[in-house]
Amino acid sequence: MTDEKKPEDAPATKRRDFLKYGIGAGVGAVAVQGAASLRSLVPNVSYDAPTTVKLGVPDEFPDGLKFLPDERLFVFREGRTFHAISAVCTHLGCTVRAEAMPAPQQATVEGKPLRLTHNFSCPCHGSRYTGDGGNVSGPAPKPLAWYHLTVSPDDGQLVVDLAREVGHDFRLTLA
Amino acid sequence: MNLLLKRKPGTPSAPGVHPEPFWSYRPASDREAGDAVVSNLLLHWFPSKVYTPSLDWTYSFWLGTASAALFLLLILSGLPLLFLYVPSVERAYQSVKDIEYVVTFGWWIRAVHRIAAHLMVAVVALHLVRVFLTGAYKNGTGRGQRREWNWVLGVVMLVFTLFLSFTGYLLPWDQLAFWAVTVGTNIASSIPWIGPTTRELMIGGRTIEQATLIRFYVLHCIVLPGGLGALFAYHMWRIRKDGGLAKADREALLDVPHQTEVVPTKTYTLLGVARGTAPTITARSVEAPDLTVNAVPDLTRRTAIVVLATFALVSILASGIPSPLEEPANPLITPNPAKAPWYFLWLQEIVTVTTFRIGSFTVNGAFFGGVILPGLIVTLMTIWPWLDRSPAAAAGVWFPQSRRTQNYVFLAIALVIVVFTIIGMVMRGPYWNFYWPWEAWPEIPARI
Repeated sequence: MTDEKKPEDAPATKRRDFLKYGIGAGVGAVAVQGAASLRSLVPNVSYDAPTTVKLGVPDEFPDGLKFLPDERLFVFREGRTFHAISAVCTHLGCTVRAEAMPAPQQATVEGKPLRLTHNFSCPCHGSRYTGDGGNVSGPAPKPLAWYHLTVSPDDGQLVVDLAREVGHDFRLTLA
Repeated sequence: MNLLLKRKPGTPSAPGVHPEPFWSYRPASDREAGDAVVSNLLLHWFPSKVYTPSLDWTYSFWLGTASAALFLLLILSGLPLLFLYVPSVERAYQSVKDIEYVVTFGWWIRAVHRIAAHLMVAVVALHLVRVFLTGAYKNGTGRGQRREWNWVLGVVMLVFTLFLSFTGYLLPWDQLAFWAVTVGTNIASSIPWIGPTTRELMIGGRTIEQATLIRFYVLHCIVLPGGLGALFAYHMWRIRKDGGLAKADREALLDVPHQTEVVPTKTYTLLGVARGTAPTITARSVEAPDLTVNAVPDLTRRTAIVVLATFALVSILASGIPSPLEEPANPLITPNPAKAPWYFLWLQEIVTVTTFRIGSFTVNGAFFGGVILPGLIVTLMTIWPWLDRSPAAAAGVWFPQSRRTQNYVFLAIALVIVVFTIIGMVMRGPYWNFYWPWEAWPEIPARI
């Protein structure tokens, strides 16, 4: 009331502004809190198992097939040549089972010879795969994944990269 | 006559003053019956009067009340389990084993919880079937009715019920749990582009681990029951707003105003009293005393019977049917066959046969059978009240002529789902091969 030059409706405008900003700030706070709550549920750090795994010394792998349950992986050995096929069914992620064929077959897969020793079947929905992982029946939409194999430079162990899929012509041949 | 305390004679009574500590079980007057509803927290969501045929056992089969009773029982039996269960990968299995074999009555509480959960899925589904077959989502004559929205709420509640059951499935952390959830969450990852991210958000990582267990635990114990409770309150409120069950509308619709007895009248005019008779026209309505009863005690009595009968049935079943607990979860070994919970087995049947190829392009059966098809069914169910063009008189009655075709189509789809469920339950053996129930399954070596 000290400043008589001010128009009479000035306090009312101020109150309206205050309400407007106040409500805006309140709604904004609720929205940001909600967004923050949801964002906190998206993990920033993965505690999953690493994708590059040492599998052991190549010489300790038997000729034919070895199943590695921790990696859900089949490692095949034919003399000094190795390749690895995933045991994760491409339909819904169950672990497929290997069934030995009565006699090994020689086949040509993507232009390279391959000895086929097992077929694969999924217990969940009955998908079937050939020895090179090709899906032949059941609901599986695509072949089993093949993963990249190397030899670790430090201790000579076989190393699989579960994040790196390779074609069916991949072979690791040791000297 | 009061249940607990009889009002002392001479106690002053005034409007709005309710001397009864509980409510009057046998009200002496309509006023007392109405007061019971108004003055009591437990009863305030009831109407004060109910249209008598709405209470028929064979119209609604009281399936909604039974669903609510099962939900209540699940909350009650879940409380002791909350004290006993430890949501950690290291200790979850052991704590469930303790509940089953060490805790006094633990096996029974767990069995009550499990059987009530299975029954709730079944009873909620049957409730939906009843509402569809009687066209109870249709509006009648009342103003402001939005029954179609209550139907939508119901569909959402069915989905909540399924997710509640599914999230509870993981908690024992046994083989059954682990692989059912593996298959279930991989269905989500079959969605093109967003699938793998969706699955990672669901399970909190790339593999089913501690992050998955705690997510499912919080969803199961807090988020989903809280949401379902809120939806339940809304569901009940809408029934009141819509004027009760559709059957009540139907009777009001079919009723014609009729003439009542001629009564003598007296009219006071400036010139004196004119005596005569006048016809009075009354429309019979749901308010008419010959069609309605007081909610207290007629509705409360039947509600109590249904709730207590449900509790009794579950208690008896739980003492006879043991709850399974398989080996601890082992991500390395997939059981053969690995089956989803029974209410998802029809979907498992479908995801097995729906992978198809268009040229070189392959659509994963998991995406078609696990996402598209259930999505279509839920969407179609949700919007069906707006597609149903039958007259209002078709609401609130079983199998009306005007809704015959849609009822048959609905029943045919329901039958397919039931048949697929039964095939999945009893006729699928190792590698999901078909076996008749009397056929023995072949011996499968445990590992390669």
